[in-house]
Amino acid sequence: MGRTLPLVLFAFGAGTFPYCVQRVFFSTPMERQMGTVQKIFYFHVPLAWIMMLMGVVCGIAAAIQLRRQSSRAEATAIAAAEIVLVAGLGVLITGPIWGHATWGKAWTWDARQVSTGLLWLIFAAYVLVRHYGAAGSERLAAALAIFGAIDVPIIYYAVKIWKTTHPDNNVVGTLPPEMWATLWPCLAALLAMSLGLMLTRIRQEVAEISLDEGWVRIDDVVRSMTAKDDGKDADKDDGKDADKDASKDEE
Amino acid sequence: MPQPPAATTSLRSLARQTWLLARNDLRQEMRDFELVATAGFFTLVVLVMFGLSFSTLGRYAQPMAVPGILWLAVAFVGSLTLTRIFDREREADTLRALLAAPVHRLAIYLAKAGVTLAVLLGCCAILVPGLVLMFDAAAPFAERPLATFSLVFLGCAAYATIGTLFAAGLSTSGGKNVLLSVILYPLTSPALMFALVSTRTLLDGHPGFEGYLSQLVALDILQLVVSAWLFESVLVGTAGGSSRRKRSAGRRT
Repeated sequence: MGRTLPLVLFAFGAGTFPYCVQRVFFSTPMERQMGTVQKIFYFHVPLAWIMMLMGVVCGIAAAIQLRRQSSRAEATAIAAAEIVLVAGLGVLITGPIWGHATWGKAWTWDARQVSTGLLWLIFAAYVLVRHYGAAGSERLAAALAIFGAIDVPIIYYAVKIWKTTHPDNNVVGTLPPEMWATLWPCLAALLAMSLGLMLTRIRQEVAEISLDEGWVRIDDVVRSMTAKDDGKDADKDDGKDADKDASKDEE
Repeated sequence: MPQPPAATTSLRSLARQTWLLARNDLRQEMRDFELVATAGFFTLVVLVMFGLSFSTLGRYAQPMAVPGILWLAVAFVGSLTLTRIFDREREADTLRALLAAPVHRLAIYLAKAGVTLAVLLGCCAILVPGLVLMFDAAAPFAERPLATFSLVFLGCAAYATIGTLFAAGLSTSGGKNVLLSVILYPLTSPALMFALVSTRTLLDGHPGFEGYLSQLVALDILQLVVSAWLFESVLVGTAGGSSRRKRSAGRRT
């Protein structure tokens, strides 16, 4: 199950993705106002949803890691944060391309753009702290992930709270059925790939943690054995010295 | 005579402990003025550098530049302050003693956040009059002192609440201070952004100033609650498995 599930997810994603591309470009009608550039929507929106989902997963896993000392939760948080980085990069590349074509400007400092950019920066900081932080910095990284997860609802409600140029959340709900029929496979393919990657990374991280713990245990045993040997040698030396002193006294 | 409820007693005890710890820090600071002097001087240098860069800006550009100058200076001074805020405990190795003492952990957080806020407000006492002197567009700061104080207080509080949490974490993790900037700037950006927009509305005399200020209050409360909730876990740490892992990495190198 542990190894099979990621492979199944990768196989599903690899099989579905060409079908998605075919549907996006050949089977879905052209949007009247935006034209061809609207096709980016079928990749931009699923990536944004995956980014937000993984941000929440990372935050929850980090909270469990802090409270319950769970190495599996720690591994999940690391894996989810890396997926946030990858999916977020996709969102931050596809969004400005779409924005440039429709608004005439790639980056408008819109509330949703800014909050998405900040989320990506927070998770980039998380990955940096995990990689370069000293002993104990995993707690800091976990706190950072929790703050990152808090940013997710801010991204979602940004278009409602502030005046923005970004389309409203209801736009997706009002899509015609033929567009939904393309959006679902795109979401399924990208989500399957993301989950496959995440599960693989979790397995790697759990294995790394177990190896590290094993290494520490062996190191502790070796150290204690060396300390015992040193103690015995010292006792032997003391015994020899005592014998020498005794023979001197006899002489 | 009726006894006060347990919650009131523990709240009173928390407030007392917070005050005692903050007073102790401030008293030590008053002996050598190390933090205040370095942060104050740094504020002055940043102000002069911004003044040199933007003094030639026209009437219309100034109201857009002044909020940025104010909050960027606070961000720079804040990161300098936060790298030093736990230094006394780290250098004298007294943080362990403080954690072992019968003191509420939340009191340690609140005291440190209070001291950071006091230092930042001290720096703003140099920064705001300096901006008024250098830029005509900053005149509303002097005309509306109460609004300016509320704005500066809330902005600095937002920075201090979140910054103290991570400064505490780095002080116990034996971490590199460069990571504080890596963590601090993305996390404090929302607070600085809110403060920046509020400052712009104050300078423009926009009627929505109070609304932006209330959003800043909400953000302050959210950050304070989350930081206070996480403080003990970040400072003391309960993730035993993880520290073992880092320990092994440390031994290998």
